[in-house]
Amino acid sequence: MSRIRFENVSKRFGGVTAVDDLSLEIESGEFVSILGPSGCGKTTLLRMLAGLERPTGGTISIGGRVVNELAPAQRNVAMVFQTYALYPHMTVAGNIEYPLRKRRVAKDERVRRVREAAAVLELEALLHRKPRELSGGQQQRVALGRALVRDPAVFLLDEPLSNLDAKLRTHMRAELIRLHRRIGRTMVYVTHDQLEAMTMSQRIAVLRDGRLQQFAPPRDIYARPGNDFVAGFIGTPSMNFLDGRLEGTGSGRTFQCGDLSLPVGMLALADEMPEPDRRVRLGIRPEHIQVDQEGEAARVNLVEPTGHETILVFDYRGNELVARMDGDVAIESGDTVKLAFRAEKLRLFAAADGRRLNDDSTP
Amino acid sequence: MSAPASIVRRVLFNVLAWAVVLVIAFPLLWMLLTSVKPSTELFVIPPRLLPGEITFEHYRRLLTETPFLIYLRNSAWLAAGTTLVVIAIATLGAHSLVRFSYPGRERLARLVLFTYLLPSVVLIIPLYLLMTGLGLANTLTSLIIAYTTFALPYALWLLRSFMKAIPDDLESAALVDGANRMQAFVDVILPQALPGIISTAMFTAILAWNEYFYALVLVNNDAARPLTTGVISMLVTSFNIEWSLLMAASVMMSLPLIVVFTFLQRYLTRGFSAGAIKG
Repeated sequence: MSRIRFENVSKRFGGVTAVDDLSLEIESGEFVSILGPSGCGKTTLLRMLAGLERPTGGTISIGGRVVNELAPAQRNVAMVFQTYALYPHMTVAGNIEYPLRKRRVAKDERVRRVREAAAVLELEALLHRKPRELSGGQQQRVALGRALVRDPAVFLLDEPLSNLDAKLRTHMRAELIRLHRRIGRTMVYVTHDQLEAMTMSQRIAVLRDGRLQQFAPPRDIYARPGNDFVAGFIGTPSMNFLDGRLEGTGSGRTFQCGDLSLPVGMLALADEMPEPDRRVRLGIRPEHIQVDQEGEAARVNLVEPTGHETILVFDYRGNELVARMDGDVAIESGDTVKLAFRAEKLRLFAAADGRRLNDDSTP
Repeated sequence: MSAPASIVRRVLFNVLAWAVVLVIAFPLLWMLLTSVKPSTELFVIPPRLLPGEITFEHYRRLLTETPFLIYLRNSAWLAAGTTLVVIAIATLGAHSLVRFSYPGRERLARLVLFTYLLPSVVLIIPLYLLMTGLGLANTLTSLIIAYTTFALPYALWLLRSFMKAIPDDLESAALVDGANRMQAFVDVILPQALPGIISTAMFTAILAWNEYFYALVLVNNDAARPLTTGVISMLVTSFNIEWSLLMAASVMMSLPLIVVFTFLQRYLTRGFSAGAIKG
């Protein structure tokens, strides 16, 4: 009933294209994150959904109804802003009540619903305060309350946690997930924080320069990234890339990078690369690098112990490789160790357009 | 060592400040004292600062024997009317200049400032011809329109900078919360811009209250004359200046401004400090 559909949506500001021919379908009741670096068009996408920006091209529909021409008020969406955008001259109660007043809800009903929302968000004691008298976390909850009180079809959240400190952010993340489960409404969550996107969402839409890179559940985004951008953007430390060429086919296939030759015949490829030069990027996640006496020698440049794990930076035949190993690994900076990769976890991307070459059965 | 030096500096600073205050305040004090002196004491040599006897005779004569009250009423209408028109147009105009994007917006904003730079002398003849053409010559309406021409550009510019400081998200939030553009403006933007609106309104009212030149050229009858030109034309002639009445009139002209200022200044500071902390 509140399924959201973007069809070939574009938005240009003067000569700048913020969103470029984007198509996306969000199921009713789904929690979806729009993830991407700053300036990738994710907030513009959200503002178009809210009706605050008009798309230059394409159609947006909510619950089967095309909303391109509808004012924000007519869309039955609620939005939580990064800055919270609480009305400074109104009390907490006044802020939460405002959407109801604009919808001409009767006074008794308004009071009841404000109380309800305040109870859910533990704001009862603060109802008579002004926003400036609240902490960041409290303001955040008021902003949520203002969205919640209307019982809208769709919740739009624009980096709502980015102004909170780390501890509160973790807490609010859990609160939001719980809230979503409770009310079961469609939620579209814009963030540049991959941790938030990975932990909260049912599906993530990764955006770059206004274009949709991939739209998939968090596990798929991590394990089967659609292209080298998604692969490099998701995961901390990010995926290592080696640029080289493919030689041979089938089980005899190898990856050539300088005088390094790695057998990659066990990878099931959707595309054997018809291009004559077969230039590819080999992607290796830091946790898939292991010490192995059969492997290639690499020099340890940097050791960063974080307690439960150790991040190691290697010089691997002139390439920098970042590896994630156990917290108690006994390797010192300056050592030379032999490294191998977990072969079945390697990812291959076309050098030309970055698309993933492994087929979807990849573990 | 440094303590006596800083005391000396403080004393010097205070003496200097008070000297400046005295220079500015003395004519005002003289005005007040002259207005309550009997006419016989005005020109005694040597001059006396304090009146030998205090009289309110001049005030009585001013209020009962002259058209002063009509002028006062006219000035009040002018100040209120101009302020109302200017604020109504300027708040909406400034909002448009800040929030809406349309071709030539920035150029329009600069053009507005440019009109403010034009000296009013060059506008007075065209305005006079316009008013006679419209049949508005010698009316308060003509003055309200004339005052609007020079108060509006400044008001627009002032309010624009106030409104620029209001976060876009507030209006967006109101729109998503179910308000239409006008409701968002009234519910959210106006309360935020209130300190700016009050100071702009005060500026406009003072401008209209004290204006002399346009009133002199555009209005030529007692029914529409404001205090500035009215008092001069009635008390200052080529043969005689009624000093006592003039001073009494001056005191009464200043009073409303002083009252308005003392009342609103407090409001202003409160408004500013409230606006300084963002929610």
